[in-house]
Amino acid sequence: MGRSGPAPGSRVAMMVEDLAALRRPVRTRITVAAGLQALAAVLAVTPAVVLVEIGRRLLDGSVRSVWGLAWLAVGLLFARFVLYAAASLLSHLADADLAYLLRRRLTGQLGGLPLSWFAGGVSGQVRSVVQDDVATLHHAIAHARADLAAAVAGPAVVVGYLLWVDWPLALVTIALVALAQSIRMRLTVRAADQTQRMAAASTELTAAVLETVRGIAELKAFARHGRAPRFTAAAAEYVDADEQAQRIFLRPRGVARATVSPATVVFVTTALGVALVGAGWSDPVDLVAFALLGVGLFEQLTPIYLAQDLRDSARDAAGRIVKLLGEPPQSAVEPGLARRPGTPLTVELDDVRFSYTDGHPVLAGVSATLAPGTVTALVGPSGAGKSTLAMLVARFADVTGGAIRLGAVDLREIDRDELYRHVGFLLQDSVLLARSIRDNIALAVPAASDEAVHAAARAAAIDERIRALPRGYDSVVGEDAHLSGGEAQRVAIARTLLADTPVILLDEATAFADPDSEAAIQDALAELAVGRTLLVIAHRLYTITDADQILVLDEGRLVERGRHLDLLAAGGRYAALWAAQQDGDPATTRTDPAVTAEAADAAVTAVTAVTDVDGVGGRR
Amino acid sequence: MRGPLHGLVPTTQRAPLVRYLTAISGYAVSEGVAFGVLAPLLTALLRGHTATAARWVIPLAAAAVVGWWAHYYLGSRSLRLSTAWRRDLYTRIGDTLLTLPLGWYDAPGARAVPQLVTADVARVASTVFLAQALLGAILTPATVAVFLFACDWRIGLASLAAIPVVLLALTLGRRLSARAEAAEHAATTEAGARLVEFAGAQPTLRAAGQSAAGRAELDRALATQHRTARRQVIASLPGEYLGELGLQLAFTALLFTGVALATHDQLGPARMIALVVLGISMLRPLDALVGLGAALRGIQSSAARIEGLLTVAPLPEPSPHPGGTGLADGRLAGVGTGLGLGDVGSGLADVGAGLGDVGREAAGIGVELEDVRFAYPDGPEILRGLSLSIPAGRTTALVGASGSGKTTVTRLIARFHDVGAGTVRVGGVDVRDLASGELLRHLAFVFQDVYLFDGTVEDNIRFGNPDATDEQVREAARRARVDAVVARLPDGWASRVGEGGRLLSGGERQRVAIARALCRDAPIVLLDEATASLDPENEAAVHAALAELATARTVLVIAHRLNTVVRADQIAVLADGRVVERGSHAELLARDGHYAAFWRDRDRAAGWRLASAARPDRADRPARAGG
Repeated sequence: MGRSGPAPGSRVAMMVEDLAALRRPVRTRITVAAGLQALAAVLAVTPAVVLVEIGRRLLDGSVRSVWGLAWLAVGLLFARFVLYAAASLLSHLADADLAYLLRRRLTGQLGGLPLSWFAGGVSGQVRSVVQDDVATLHHAIAHARADLAAAVAGPAVVVGYLLWVDWPLALVTIALVALAQSIRMRLTVRAADQTQRMAAASTELTAAVLETVRGIAELKAFARHGRAPRFTAAAAEYVDADEQAQRIFLRPRGVARATVSPATVVFVTTALGVALVGAGWSDPVDLVAFALLGVGLFEQLTPIYLAQDLRDSARDAAGRIVKLLGEPPQSAVEPGLARRPGTPLTVELDDVRFSYTDGHPVLAGVSATLAPGTVTALVGPSGAGKSTLAMLVARFADVTGGAIRLGAVDLREIDRDELYRHVGFLLQDSVLLARSIRDNIALAVPAASDEAVHAAARAAAIDERIRALPRGYDSVVGEDAHLSGGEAQRVAIARTLLADTPVILLDEATAFADPDSEAAIQDALAELAVGRTLLVIAHRLYTITDADQILVLDEGRLVERGRHLDLLAAGGRYAALWAAQQDGDPATTRTDPAVTAEAADAAVTAVTAVTDVDGVGGRR
Repeated sequence: MRGPLHGLVPTTQRAPLVRYLTAISGYAVSEGVAFGVLAPLLTALLRGHTATAARWVIPLAAAAVVGWWAHYYLGSRSLRLSTAWRRDLYTRIGDTLLTLPLGWYDAPGARAVPQLVTADVARVASTVFLAQALLGAILTPATVAVFLFACDWRIGLASLAAIPVVLLALTLGRRLSARAEAAEHAATTEAGARLVEFAGAQPTLRAAGQSAAGRAELDRALATQHRTARRQVIASLPGEYLGELGLQLAFTALLFTGVALATHDQLGPARMIALVVLGISMLRPLDALVGLGAALRGIQSSAARIEGLLTVAPLPEPSPHPGGTGLADGRLAGVGTGLGLGDVGSGLADVGAGLGDVGREAAGIGVELEDVRFAYPDGPEILRGLSLSIPAGRTTALVGASGSGKTTVTRLIARFHDVGAGTVRVGGVDVRDLASGELLRHLAFVFQDVYLFDGTVEDNIRFGNPDATDEQVREAARRARVDAVVARLPDGWASRVGEGGRLLSGGERQRVAIARALCRDAPIVLLDEATASLDPENEAAVHAALAELATARTVLVIAHRLNTVVRADQIAVLADGRVVERGSHAELLARDGHYAAFWRDRDRAAGWRLASAARPDRADRPARAGG
């Protein structure tokens, strides 16, 4: 369901602004850290300068103030150490805080999206954005600035000093470093072409590994050669993409590194320096400055190069974060304007229309009234819109036309929490949370007494099973509580029972996921039905023959409405569905309720006959 | 390169890796030599002996040439090595994931797998690049130190004073940060898992009402992640800063010693300056060592996590046979023929002949469970001496209460787990004597909680048999009535089914699973039947497909639909971890035992109607309820 966002092009400018806004809470700290780090970088030049000065004086035969200079060097270095430590602490902590802030914002946003957004499985994507992309981004935002400041300030001072000491030699050194730096900056641009592929490969790998872990039973059963094909493919693509990205700048990077390798720099500067000294141009002691400062110059520029790299990957990460933050949240009513559903708590479907964002219509005007305390069944072929209608009542998405009202108030005017105090649902395969069974049942009513929790579990026919767990109700799902799908379903029913909402939406297929306890669940549901408004998506028509109202949907329209016998008599769509089902399921059509050996024999005979018919049917 | 990291190096890469490391070492030493040569060069120059200085430029040139060669050669070499390493790790992890006992996936360890795959593998493979920096940071200063001592032992000693301080700082840093790092990693993993849950359980959480409370667990995990991240920052600082401080002490010692020696005329100023330059050159790479040490520790813990996964004991495989897959059928057939005599009256009379044919025409591969006992790790014993013969080519229905071990039986046959005691034989061969590929080739599954992969419907069907032709896939789809599902999907056959198949209903997923099994065309079908999840119009059709799946195959069905139970050739009733009744529907009803009670209960359920409470629903049918 509608997961498409606005056009990406118009978002880039907004993105930059957004990022600035995201960064604001830690901006001061980052700026201060950058200043401190720049200062520290400047002070790093001290040992070289002092040593050259000491050398100059000693070579001139003067020992005047040599010790003072030595102490000055040590003092400045210590100051550098303090500055550097403070900057590092400040920016790292700002980093961690920013990541936390972003994660909170993102999860807050997730909580506001319509439930339909979560259909189709987005957990891999969510994990990748909230954890990995934030990690990428916070690093780029918080670290890059301080590192960049140091990378600019440090080399600037070094270059200035070298130029002052001996400008021809300085120019040669700068030329070497500039050559290497320009090669690697160009590479960064080329590498940017690969980041899309890398990001896609990384997302796919995350999704593939999640799928492998979750679908492991299927994989074990079916996978050829003991391989998980999607994982294998995703991993191969991930490595290939990375290798290709790296291969592009393999050789240029080698050249750049070699150009500024210590041996090369030392060789070039001393060879030239010796020549210059020989020509009487330079002072020998000047060479000391170059031997000390020339070698490390290139490495000092690395953060500039990395910053570019980080910015590129951060841009993609930011794009995904902003896209998620920009998903239109479900319209929430302003607290002041929220209305409480009135009494009676009638559910009114008023010309309900729904279409996907691509315009594909699912419901084309359905009107019905669900009176309090009645059972309404939704019937129709797959794709008729049954599930969509039920999900709209549970406000997984909002109607695109018409209205749904609860107690005469439009769902959109009811506060979300208020709505779910009145409407409960068992529509999808239920998910248990990784916490204790007790907490799972009491999810909506954390204050519920143990007796109430146990009573709900008993009513859902799961109490005995829970007590058999290692820690009973305190067993934690996924740790020592491993429940089957049907058992999890019964826990969900217990949860719904305990939540005690007056309106309940139910998918029969979901409710009866565990046939072995079907009778017990039926008793639970019968209890659930007492005094409540039920909307049931029905698959087995005989279970709803006593429903107060049956709504027959076909292609998004309400084609018939009425009670079982009336609809049968009408001989329309419902009657056809009924007839089709009776043919298909002989065991449920037997009208004689008495079970005797003779009846069973007869049933076997009937089934044998049906098997033959089925065989023909299969080859049709 | 010790510990878990060493064990992860792929065997085929060992020799290239050693060559690579040797080359790096050579390069690192050459850089040291370049600095070492600088000392006599500078001394000569400062003393005014320019010609002598010029001669020392020649070895410098040689070192520069070595550097160029090394960067050219090492660049491509290191990429190739790290890529090969990553490929190998992914292959091994991919293989391991499928050999792990299913029970492992229920344990908390499974939660770490995504993190392991996305982050840890790349980290471990980056060791190749790290090694270059690390060896450089060690060998280059070591080489310089040799020169330094050769020139003047006092300056050498003064600069070496730093080493113990740096080492101490490294050790201290390791101790402080290791625990914080582990805590941060655990918190990140936990937060990731909570996020997946938060996104996956949104409807449930919202239905619970208090949206704030629904988020509490996630918020707590995120807060813990934040707290541990901050703590890690602080814990890693002393190590880092002490290292810095150590280096500064070293510089101070070096400078002061030099100045003292020079001012006391123990050392000529030219030589003093040259040696202090050498000393500083030696100390500089040590700075990087501190950071590299932290990186290596990170890699080691990544390696430990991967190693931990790779060394989870898989189910033991029989020693491989040289014949490979071709042997499988012969093996099964051969032993199967012998078995045909041994088994008692379970419809195996025709099996011996059937097994004579090679391949899947061996329509008679039966399954026997003999005195099987089984408990999930840390769980109670679920099967307590279960014996069951599942005759070839027939349908056996398993019936029993929830938790009676029905699903466990199918999982043991497929050898997702090994029995605690007793044996499971397929075609007369103990499943533990079959390679997992051999065994699984003869099995097709239809699980109850079908997990579909996030691909197209067609991909999911073909998953049962990658070699199937398009026609076979379509035919299987048609027979399982998947074509009707496809018809309503927006993109037809190309529609994706979503993570886990969530865009399809439960019934539709089951139909895809049946098509998958049909496509697989294996002689044994393990079927965990779904109920009530098929829409009315297709229910009959799916039954037809299931019936077709059952013809000429050995079927073990965990039966939920009464007509499936009735139709089975043999019904086995499970209770207390044993088969308590076995026979046909009529026989078992006549016995009036467990099965008869089950039947009455289910029959009552089948007649149940949902209605608003006031209607005296059940009271209408006392005969049905009472049996």
